[in-house]
Amino acid sequence: ALSRQNKNLMQLVYGKSTSDLASDISEPQGSTDDESEDDDFFKPKGEGAKKLTDALGAVDVNGDECSKFTSSLNTKNWNDHDVVQSIRDRFVTGDWSKAAQ
Amino acid sequence: MAKINYKKLQGSQNLRLRLLLSTLSSTPILIVDIRSNETIPGLRPHEISLLRLIEKVCDDCHVEINETGTKLKYKPGIVMGGKYLVHDCGLSRSIGYFLEPLVVLGLFGKKPLSIRLKGITNDSKDPSIDTFRSTTLNILKRFGVPSEGLELKIENRGVPPLGGGEVVLSVPIVHTSLMAVNWIDEGMVKRIRGVSFSTRVSAQFENAIIHAARGIFNRLLPDVHIFTDHKAGAQAGNSPGFGISLVAETTSGCYISVDTTISYPRKEETAEIEDDERADLKPPADVGVEIASALLGEIEQGGVVDSTHQGLLYILCALCPQDVSKIRVGKLSPYGIEALRLIKEFLSVTFAIKPDPSTGTVILKCVGCGLKNLSRKLS
Repeated sequence: ALSRQNKNLMQLVYGKSTSDLASDISEPQGSTDDESEDDDFFKPKGEGAKKLTDALGAVDVNGDECSKFTSSLNTKNWNDHDVVQSIRDRFVTGDWSKAAQ
Repeated sequence: MAKINYKKLQGSQNLRLRLLLSTLSSTPILIVDIRSNETIPGLRPHEISLLRLIEKVCDDCHVEINETGTKLKYKPGIVMGGKYLVHDCGLSRSIGYFLEPLVVLGLFGKKPLSIRLKGITNDSKDPSIDTFRSTTLNILKRFGVPSEGLELKIENRGVPPLGGGEVVLSVPIVHTSLMAVNWIDEGMVKRIRGVSFSTRVSAQFENAIIHAARGIFNRLLPDVHIFTDHKAGAQAGNSPGFGISLVAETTSGCYISVDTTISYPRKEETAEIEDDERADLKPPADVGVEIASALLGEIEQGGVVDSTHQGLLYILCALCPQDVSKIRVGKLSPYGIEALRLIKEFLSVTFAIKPDPSTGTVILKCVGCGLKNLSRKLS
């Protein structure tokens, strides 16, 4: 299982092959064929790409460039005793032998 | 003249990383379709400003932009560095946006760089100058960058929308090359430091932020000290706002940082809202709790740097001599992943990326591309 996970991270970053990506992209475009022509006509050009971005977790082709990353880091309630205990050993006030492991 | 072979790229994404890596690897690039389908097509003011900045610190570089700004030709030159340079970063992105690539370029210059940058010193989008001072510069030192001459002075602060800040950046040059690192021990957090600032508002904002942030840290660590930096008059720039930058220092010399700034939105974002209807600034107590939580989130994630500095960390590793660097990060950040991809494209350095399941972190290994400071050698 470990080697598979390892491979997945490498794939996530460097990609497996472009053909895989291409098949992902063609899918939502294909589905729009079912809709009426009018809908297609009035579709803003960026829309399809935006949906794809969300699905693939990839960066928007024309997106803003930001190194700062503040996604789900804020979600925990750090006033809660149990939550605080979960990182206690990452501090010098915690258990040193546990942190050394 | 010999025909130049341009590397062809598409879209506006990662322009900063592309320009930086293109310059370091002396690879001319041609970017097409820059926001060609958007209402306002082409390069944004901050991107143009970045190109001007690169022209300022480099010799013999060539920038060509088509009429609509959707096409950019860039032939890198030699990084010269130099003293008493001045650059106006404009108001569309903060100075942090420019500092990130500039500080790396400066290392590989012919002469040490000293430049005055004007614009926005703190905003919510880019790492603030306080974070730069507390964390980014320390990460550079880890790679053998001499601490002498590595400095960022804050003269005036300025927040969006009108800015008015001024900083002076000094970067020494690396004499031969960087030093590869074996940096996988994140250590334990021994103290938390920070700076809270305010411009054109009451100093009470700072105190409220600090009080709220301390409340979160108190259960974990007594050694918490957050300084205040209340600016008034010309030093406070042109817009009201406040913010905070926090850094957790560990027993193994890692710096984990977060920052945030609260100010009124830029004009284009509030085009529909009447001026007198502007919303109040977010309560400082909430900001304090949020930012303290964000720092604990970063600490929980693990790794020797925070998620904001991953891109820089990878670039520095890739620029090392042909020696193995080994580093640990918490979770791969989106910007970090983009950096890894572009590093492979421009420098042909591929990282071996392995999860470490026992700690939930990721270990990366690479062999540097062996970039020497060529600008200096030519002299």
